[in-house]
Amino acid sequence: MSANLDAMRGSAPGSNVAVAIRRVLTDGAGVVAILYVILFALYALWDRSALSVSGVTDLSNNAAPLAIAAAGESLVVISKGFDLSVSGVVSLSNVLMATYPIEGPHGALISLLICLGVGGAIGVLNGLLVAILRLQSIAATLGTMIMGQGLALVIMDAPGGTVADWVSNTLTDVIFGVIPISGLIVLAVVALWFVFRRTDACIGIFAVGADETAASLSGISVVRARFTAFVGAGLLYGLAGFMLSVQTATGNPTAGTPFLMLTFAAVALGGVSLTGGRGSLVGAVIGAATLMLLQKVLFSGGVSSFYTGIFQGFVLVLAIVFGSFISRLASTGARA
Amino acid sequence: MTSARPSAALQPPADTRRAGRIRPETVSTAAIFALTIILIFASRFVSPALGSWDQVDTIITLASFLIVVAFGQGLVILVGGLDLSIASMITLGGVLSTTWNGSIGSEWVLIPAVLIICACIGALNGVGVIWLNIPPFIMTMASGIIVASAALGYTSGTPRGAAPDVFLALMKGSVGGVSAVLIFVLVFVLLAWTLQSATAFGRRLYAVGANREAAWIAGVATWRPIMAAYALSAACAGFAGMMLVGYANGATLRMGDSYLLPSVASVVIGGSSILGGRGSFAGTVGGAMLLTTLGTVISALGMQEGWRTVIEGAIIVGALLLLREDLLARLRSAR
Repeated sequence: MSANLDAMRGSAPGSNVAVAIRRVLTDGAGVVAILYVILFALYALWDRSALSVSGVTDLSNNAAPLAIAAAGESLVVISKGFDLSVSGVVSLSNVLMATYPIEGPHGALISLLICLGVGGAIGVLNGLLVAILRLQSIAATLGTMIMGQGLALVIMDAPGGTVADWVSNTLTDVIFGVIPISGLIVLAVVALWFVFRRTDACIGIFAVGADETAASLSGISVVRARFTAFVGAGLLYGLAGFMLSVQTATGNPTAGTPFLMLTFAAVALGGVSLTGGRGSLVGAVIGAATLMLLQKVLFSGGVSSFYTGIFQGFVLVLAIVFGSFISRLASTGARA
Repeated sequence: MTSARPSAALQPPADTRRAGRIRPETVSTAAIFALTIILIFASRFVSPALGSWDQVDTIITLASFLIVVAFGQGLVILVGGLDLSIASMITLGGVLSTTWNGSIGSEWVLIPAVLIICACIGALNGVGVIWLNIPPFIMTMASGIIVASAALGYTSGTPRGAAPDVFLALMKGSVGGVSAVLIFVLVFVLLAWTLQSATAFGRRLYAVGANREAAWIAGVATWRPIMAAYALSAACAGFAGMMLVGYANGATLRMGDSYLLPSVASVVIGGSSILGGRGSFAGTVGGAMLLTTLGTVISALGMQEGWRTVIEGAIIVGALLLLREDLLARLRSAR
């Protein structure tokens, strides 16, 4: 699943079941998926409404923005970079949607295109700075993040505005009576990933993330791989901003700030190696869903933001320690 | 003289390591100070009140917080890290010094106590970075939000209490007609520059930042300077928080927010490498002065707060581009 070349090579003939179990346990996405199922079962035991259509829709709507943002971040992290611009893009698209609400399905499409345009533009800028001009990714994307947040403040200096009713009502709803639309959008992103994973561009991203020199010597364009990762990430952040606006139905120039920390926690929890070259977008998506579920389980009573902040900080550190433990397991598994 | 003689070709190239070569850091530091002075004079065109001596005094007062914070940030960047917990540590310093003022004995107990608490939290950042192998910006981001939430919970949303008298005197008082802050800034810059550039401790910071493995092989216990850099950074931020409290005579929960990004920007503009191992505090001081001057000009122009943020971001990216390693290398080989 994680396109982990080492692990695949390691799965020599032997007991197939044992190999399969080991692969699930050493694959970040597998571990976090098991974690999610356990957590969801506990939640459902404690609160039966979790299993109802509205309960599931609620969870899906809550998790969708972070899941999509984490999906974008995972692309950059796999290519061995860090992208802090996520909070800038999310804030900017949220503010744009609340300042210029456009009604109807066509309006939703136009809003979506605007969000993707904003994300894509910042992604191109990041790609230009990091891939082509070779600036350190943390510093360069810190700069673009600040610019994005500043522009969001220029457009809207205090929380307010309303997202178009059609968008916030329809897209938080379910189709066929059971399937939440936000969940379908996340699934669409995952489906795109399974297509993208088979392309040369994606193989390039993994190769550059694992070993830049080796990738470049074997004829992979390092610049193109990095650039693709940043632009793809930017587009996904734009979509995440769109989904956040759908969910909150209002504008806030600092709406994206919590995303910075949570996307990295989700990526690490989902088993994407922070040193690059290993991991999967699916892991990051499930990691994000797990984080949001955990937050819901612990704070469904509406506890003050005092506890949520402390919780997020500790989860971030634990997720990374846990993630590096998993990837160490994976590498010893490959050697065995 | 012609160089066609065969013997000349055999001679080793002239040793240009010292003679006639000005370090690029010196050039960029001088350029930044020149730019600041030009900006101060140019600001007269914006408003006649600007550009006077009083204005310079105000700029130095406003820059003093940033100079103290940026020193710590600079140390962390020097050892190859990044400290994103600075905003919360400023708030913590401010909140603790006002809430505990008068309740835990004299100010001479209070101030060291607050500084030690801040330094311990900073040292925890170091622990995460060194032993848990957590990327520095993630570790400090996590500790930052934990500290911010703890401060929120501790004060239940509204910090109370007045600033310690020492900091009121420091920020508002004057000694023989010269404002106390000005003297403090001069002393601080001198001490901080000495620590970073003229002590064995400072050299270890450079060694660790330039090449951790090489420093380790050369016998530096690499964890010590890294840990010290994070602890000092947090203590500096806490101190700046107390200064801010003295300036505004009260703490707020968001008082640190507007210093995090400028602290990174000051260091980067000042010519330090964001990858660590290179830079000087003199450049950082110049960067802090430039940013503060720019800030006063922007607010005199009546521009929105958002634009100020946009400009700060653009300055970081611009400085990174100007100070690209390969660009510097090319300049050096051309000389």
